[in-house]
Amino acid sequence: MTHRVDKSKCFYCGGCVSLCPVMALVLVETNVVCDESKCTKCGICVKGCPARAIKVE
Amino acid sequence: MAEHYDAIVIGCGPGGSFFAKTAAKKGMNVAVLDKKKDLGSPVRCGEGIATQWDASYGLPLNAKSIAMRIDAALAIAPNGKSFRMAGAGAVVERKIFDKFLAIDAARAGAHILPKTLVTDLVRENGKIAGVKAKRFGEEVEFRAPLVVSAEGMENTIARKAGMKVQHTLYDTDVCYEYEMANVPCEPVIELYFGNRISSRGYAWIFPKAKDVANVGIGVGGETGADPKALLDAFIRERPERFKKAEVIEVKGGDISVGASSERLVGDNFMVIGTAAHMVDPIHGGGMGLAIIAGKIAAEVVAEAHERKDYSRDALVRYEKEWHAGEGAAMLKRLKLRKAMEGLSDDDLNFIFENMDGNDAAKLMDGDFKSVVAKLLLKRPSLLKVVKSLM
Repeated sequence: MTHRVDKSKCFYCGGCVSLCPVMALVLVETNVVCDESKCTKCGICVKGCPARAIKVE
Repeated sequence: MAEHYDAIVIGCGPGGSFFAKTAAKKGMNVAVLDKKKDLGSPVRCGEGIATQWDASYGLPLNAKSIAMRIDAALAIAPNGKSFRMAGAGAVVERKIFDKFLAIDAARAGAHILPKTLVTDLVRENGKIAGVKAKRFGEEVEFRAPLVVSAEGMENTIARKAGMKVQHTLYDTDVCYEYEMANVPCEPVIELYFGNRISSRGYAWIFPKAKDVANVGIGVGGETGADPKALLDAFIRERPERFKKAEVIEVKGGDISVGASSERLVGDNFMVIGTAAHMVDPIHGGGMGLAIIAGKIAAEVVAEAHERKDYSRDALVRYEKEWHAGEGAAMLKRLKLRKAMEGLSDDDLNFIFENMDGNDAAKLMDGDFKSVVAKLLLKRPSLLKVVKSLM
């Protein structure tokens, strides 16, 4: 199971970072970096992404 | 090697810059750290701000930062009927406005440090004593007896400091926006309501020139709806207005639509602006609120700095002043937002037809009683939805 960001869709707005309940995400310039050891695959970032760029599978 | 300051601000948006400017004017040595290389970007909002500011704020609202001056807002019901609320405002260029605010802070003596990503807090004997950051590939430590989170939506450091500022899907609107050319506009902000347009949100047209506008939509996060699909439908259903429209820029982001966080201050730590959910629950505006919070916070900090006391007790007057003023007003508008969530499009049409700009101004001020009574007299079935406002 991984957290994937489609860079062709991402706005790097940081919405996912703000909603992540376990602070697994960091936005560094145009990259969203996920700490897979923290991620619980809850899917909140998927719903909160305005660009529909995130898949958790 | 660590760099030493009197206060470190995380985030160089309107709140962070205004805090830094005010604190620097009072003689404090302040650094503002921002993770981005260029301030004010990417734009995540409609760029609207009220302009009836007390001159003492000295905001850089001028010919360069303002795209278009506004004299009213138009609220539009699902059936197209509308009412007008007078009020001076502007749609700004965030990339310019934010930069001017940072320049003002620098002129007052603050240090602006772009491209500096704060990664964690520094603690000493259990107390917050600064932050760790990455700047141009180097790990740097910034030391100060006070850290101010002006982080915006991504309030990770505030959460690490133990502040209860976590955003939830329920209190977040997911927004998508196009800046479009060839859209005929008047100098008014247009707000379109209705469940078909957006569940628990609204669509907006904010003019930036007589033929350029930010056209956007926000939708309640917990609905899981795709805001781009909703915005494209909104545009498609208005072929007359948008027949020649061209997308110039694509923007988006999440905004907080709950009320401000309860605790804004801890020992050696403060939260201001969107990081503390200081965004209007009805219209989603946050720039003005962040600036007001930045000013109050900096004035309280300057006094605490003279006594070299940065404890919660020394800083708490900021929290109290906020909740007695803007915070209380936001709570009322949150009530209004929650009541609006329960309205059908038919109810919305009825309410808009039976309301004028004065009634709307009363509702926005939290003075619900007379307006609600008038509406209930004509449509008693509204009671179940609006009883929380009684």
